[in-house]
Amino acid sequence: MTKAIECINLVKKFGDYCAVDHMNLSFEQGQITALLGPNGAGKTTTISMILGMIKPTSGEVRVLGMPSGTKELRQRVGALLQDVKAADGLTVKEVLQLFRNYYRNPMSLERLLDISGLHGDVKRRASTLSGGQRRRLAFAQSLAGNPELLLLDEPTVGMDIEARGRFWDTIQALASDGRTVLLTTHHLEEADAVADHIAVIARGQVVAEGTPERLKAQTALRTVSFRAANAPAEQEWLTLPGVEKAECNGERIRLYAQETDVLLFTLMQSEWGISDIDIQSASLEDTFRSLTGSNKQAIIR
Amino acid sequence: MLHMFVAQTKAESIRIIRSPFFLLFSIAMPLAFYFLFASMNGVDKSIKSTTWGVFSLMSMTAFSLIGTAVSQFGIRLSFEHQDGWVRLLKLTPLSPAVWIGSKIVSQMAVHLIVIVVIFLSAGLVHDIQLTAGQWILCGLWLWIGSISFLALGALLGTLKNANTSVAIGNVLQMGLAIVGGLWMPLSTLPSWMGSVGEWLPSHRYANGAWNMIAGQNPASIDFIILTGCGLLFMLLSIYIYNRRDAV
Repeated sequence: MTKAIECINLVKKFGDYCAVDHMNLSFEQGQITALLGPNGAGKTTTISMILGMIKPTSGEVRVLGMPSGTKELRQRVGALLQDVKAADGLTVKEVLQLFRNYYRNPMSLERLLDISGLHGDVKRRASTLSGGQRRRLAFAQSLAGNPELLLLDEPTVGMDIEARGRFWDTIQALASDGRTVLLTTHHLEEADAVADHIAVIARGQVVAEGTPERLKAQTALRTVSFRAANAPAEQEWLTLPGVEKAECNGERIRLYAQETDVLLFTLMQSEWGISDIDIQSASLEDTFRSLTGSNKQAIIR
Repeated sequence: MLHMFVAQTKAESIRIIRSPFFLLFSIAMPLAFYFLFASMNGVDKSIKSTTWGVFSLMSMTAFSLIGTAVSQFGIRLSFEHQDGWVRLLKLTPLSPAVWIGSKIVSQMAVHLIVIVVIFLSAGLVHDIQLTAGQWILCGLWLWIGSISFLALGALLGTLKNANTSVAIGNVLQMGLAIVGGLWMPLSTLPSWMGSVGEWLPSHRYANGAWNMIAGQNPASIDFIILTGCGLLFMLLSIYIYNRRDAV
């Protein structure tokens, strides 16, 4: 089966700034994938290259087995962008009908209105809708062509918690029809709630990837941090029993492990000369932050 | 392809007609100025072998169409660029040729409506001495001549900042109208203004219609300047769009 999206060694430079730095991504069809990362991580740049809106500096993007940005793909891919204002002068219904006219196999107006929850506002001018309603109209526009692949750039910005929950349900319903969905977000809980697969992006690179369960397994880790008078080289830290990740923050060494009892015992018996021990359980948020933060000393197994 | 074009043209026309700026600056203001200038100078008072009631009608219709082309086509293009609308449309199967083609067709349809509305309003209020042929020929001249100003609009539309576009658009519209002799005849303007004005496409645009109501043909210089400016603006805007796409 062809992959929904493949990015191979993708690089995008804006002058000296490298927004996307040798990114490799590969998404299966029929899945919901989240690109998770802080602002400025390169999520929108990546989406723009997948859509063919900007050309990569080097590397390749293939979408549904085709080079990005082809005419055929515009029939089969729907996209929700950031910062697009509603068309002035047209009503909700007129906007949706206009967009339906662009595609050979459009989604029915009824279903678009169901999904956007704008049945009561069909005769209203799009420009008079509230922020959340506009976002929902834009979402319906992205679905007008009944797309196989849906790219959503920060879809829930400006939505309240309730609207967000409804939106996640809609995404899941759309994916259960066999559609592929790729969304970007900087909310960990959003990626966790909706995605089958999460790619964590930082500084233009994929720093971790997997199912939410696999990424969450790391959050079950506990951390042991301490001072060490004569610590060995960093590579040796990972050979200690149960250690999955290690980082060094100034004088303190921090080790991440599923199970800390054996680890502590080993440490106490070692020649490291450890003192000032602190044991904590790391949260999902901590893991995310340590993955995406600027702490370059993080070593991930 | 055809149904896409029809749907897009319909949507673009609706957007222009529903715009409050269109009603105000393309219909209400030119009509108000027409009735003001005509009554101030005397509807039946003669000017250039015609009367003020007819002379000013042609000037103000030309003024309205220049404004409609510059703002509804040009400034709107800048806004659509700035608002991300163009970016969004590029991701749909709508091709740029169909998009811009439908914009031009809807713009021309609206120009025709503007001519009919202004001519009808004047004809109903004042007793205007024009033959049916003159009405139709003047209307056609103004309609087809407005293409040159659409080209000017396209050039203005290459500006990515909509606020700059609005500012330049307003200056252009007013400047072309006043210096081109659409408000006051060139002969009543300071002589330096008159000598600039007679070379402006706006003056040539109105002059063709003034000649026709006086029973003559448009001067060849009217054709030359109007077509030349139109082609120049068109080529310039195509050049700018292409260069931007290449980057």
